[in-house]
Amino acid sequence: MAPRIPINPGLVEWSGDNPGIYLRDRPDGPFVTLALFFKVVLSPHGSGTAMLVLGAPDQAGTWPQRPNLMITDNQAMARYLVDGFVVNMPTFRARPALERLAFLPLTGASTERHGQRHSERVTGAGLTAEMAWDRLETPFAVEVNPEQSATGTHQMYSIFVEAKAASVSVNGTRLAGIVTDRQLFGRTISTAFLAFSETWVKPVPT
Amino acid sequence: MPIGVPINPGRVCWTGENPGIMLKEQLDGPWSALALLFRIAWSPQGAGIALVLYEQPDSTATLPHCNNVVITDNQPMAQFLMADFVAKFGVFGEVPAFANMPYLPVTHARTTGDPLGNRYCEAVASDGLSVELVWEKLGRPTAIEVPPELSGTGQHTMFSLLVESREAAIFVNGRRLSGTPQPREQAGLQTTTAFLYFAESWISD
Repeated sequence: MAPRIPINPGLVEWSGDNPGIYLRDRPDGPFVTLALFFKVVLSPHGSGTAMLVLGAPDQAGTWPQRPNLMITDNQAMARYLVDGFVVNMPTFRARPALERLAFLPLTGASTERHGQRHSERVTGAGLTAEMAWDRLETPFAVEVNPEQSATGTHQMYSIFVEAKAASVSVNGTRLAGIVTDRQLFGRTISTAFLAFSETWVKPVPT
Repeated sequence: MPIGVPINPGRVCWTGENPGIMLKEQLDGPWSALALLFRIAWSPQGAGIALVLYEQPDSTATLPHCNNVVITDNQPMAQFLMADFVAKFGVFGEVPAFANMPYLPVTHARTTGDPLGNRYCEAVASDGLSVELVWEKLGRPTAIEVPPELSGTGQHTMFSLLVESREAAIFVNGRRLSGTPQPREQAGLQTTTAFLYFAESWISD
């Protein structure tokens, strides 16, 4: 284990919860639905809630023609997250759906937790979008260096809770795909996860 | 850099937010008022909010004589936090008030302000008891990873995002409790006894 120091001198970019659901049409197939939820407590653009749903990640259209949308109560924060973080994540990188994404106003948000199920629901602009995680596993902590992080430039701390089943729906219509496995730092976990207490830090140049 | 193995092999005990305010009337005097807020995203007893308020830390008195109380929407979670963590958080577990804390239900909770701005507030109420915590003169957010020998319990690794405050107050039903934040050192960092802690996780080895 590398030596650790208690105080990270890096620049904290943002912090909050950031669960996700990535669905494929078959275990070795392409991703057909990608969704991320952000509940941000601290960012350069303030706090807020945002849900990104790409129901057609490889198509450039946006809502209402395509089920690709961002719904948020803080547009500046949501654009910062997409432009600075999401577009650099390997699963999202170069996805045509991100090119002309509609940013819709969020008017309501609710969290529900019942046993092994967790869901996040947002409403606004005449739609309701929901992400639901089922069969939750034991939480574990991750802390990654830039070369390991999704952006390739940040350190990231988080608490992951793997979900063995999950769904994404828009206006009650369930989007395509199933939860599959992926490799995360040598460990096989599913493509649906809760991510609590996530903090992204820009390291001090060495 | 501090970061080591990507997946920590330890057991996650809880994660969430844990801001607090500790006030004294003078530097070498006793604590005049203490408050800790837990907003838990995950714990073995579920999620929820718990506000721990010691209006008179040096007294075992409680309602209706003084507001030494826990206000929570998840009493099992609050009891877990009090027994396994607050009890070991130095002064919070050592003052006489700790021994006799009743639990009241949350009827209102609201967060306002911006931790990157000038002011941040948490308001929690239970029927006729309204508590407001106010942090001002906020510092730069700092990610910390505190090893067991330096953590509050002495047993856990603690990850958190600290935003210090150099001016803070506790209001109970609109009345400001006496005292001001004091300087303190945490894991080698010079800070104060008024703090916002976001993205906080406690890991048992």
